[in-house]
Amino acid sequence: MKKNFIVVLLGIGLIIYASTIIASRNTIYYYTTSETTNIEISKNERIKLGGFVVENSISKDAGFTIFTITDGNKDIEIVFDGFIPDLFQENMGVILDGVFEDDAFFADDMLVKHDNEYVSSDGETYNVENYSE
Amino acid sequence: MMLYGPLVVWLGLSFFGPYDVTQGIYSKLLYIHVPTVWVAYLGYTLTFVYSVLYFFTKKHKFDSLAVSNAKSGVVFTVITLLAGSYWGKQTWGTWWVWGDARLNLTAILLLVYLGYIASRQFNKDLGKTARNSSFIGIFGVIQIPILHFSVIWWRSVHQQASILSQETVASGDAPMSTDILLTLLLSVLLVTLVHVFLAKKFRNSNDILWDDYLNPKSRAKI
Repeated sequence: MKKNFIVVLLGIGLIIYASTIIASRNTIYYYTTSETTNIEISKNERIKLGGFVVENSISKDAGFTIFTITDGNKDIEIVFDGFIPDLFQENMGVILDGVFEDDAFFADDMLVKHDNEYVSSDGETYNVENYSE
Repeated sequence: MMLYGPLVVWLGLSFFGPYDVTQGIYSKLLYIHVPTVWVAYLGYTLTFVYSVLYFFTKKHKFDSLAVSNAKSGVVFTVITLLAGSYWGKQTWGTWWVWGDARLNLTAILLLVYLGYIASRQFNKDLGKTARNSSFIGIFGVIQIPILHFSVIWWRSVHQQASILSQETVASGDAPMSTDILLTLLLSVLLVTLVHVFLAKKFRNSNDILWDDYLNPKSRAKI
């Protein structure tokens, strides 16, 4: 009984320890566009970059999708070649995986980060002023 | 019958309920994903409460209650992971994001309670088994507050809470249309009912185990 009990306690301890380690290593999954000016990024280092797609910035060129994302303070031009999720559109939050080349960000992986808003077809919304992210 | 009633109404509600216009019809998975994970939390919290009660009183009904809530919690955790993953494929563009704290911690939560159920088989003596398992039931609950705040502590892909957030609680205004909110809350109620009757089913089978353990002769006659 003692043996089982110790194994069980060790197991729980291990799981809790592992989950905190795993989670703390991923405190930041992606950088915002403004943050990229403050961090050292070596050439060809892959990073994840998040922001909102700027209106009227999406265009296609030679198989690439080119658009601009912003976090409200800094715009970055994205050259994207990869699978585009259905929800990709203007003003949508996206997370891109790729490398900087000069001032443009070349990405080949995209996630759409949808916020916690749910608005049905009757168009009725909540009070925006009371709500902040 | 009591189990299938709420289940059918809930599925019907999810199927015919209103949806977010931007995300499209797949946002109806909200009515599956959110209530099931809340009820899983509820189940694990009850497992914690009954594990504590069993540990101090050694009354076997508390052990049965702890096990039945954990089993039902596991069922709902699996459903929430499946529904969330499918929603992720439709919205984010991927089934799973390995760097996301909330996703990983939910998977670990499932493993811990699968471990809890597996721990029921560690020892042939049900009295000792129940005592050992109660430790997992007691310590496992630590994960729930970590999970709830994971979207605030770690910036990642999973969105912030819509209902159980400071803003919503403080302003009384959820970032949702009223019809979506009502459908969601009704779903939570229905899934809670499903949980209660599902846990009752699991409890019956565990009560039989305890009966065998406490009165071996009475069972042998049958």
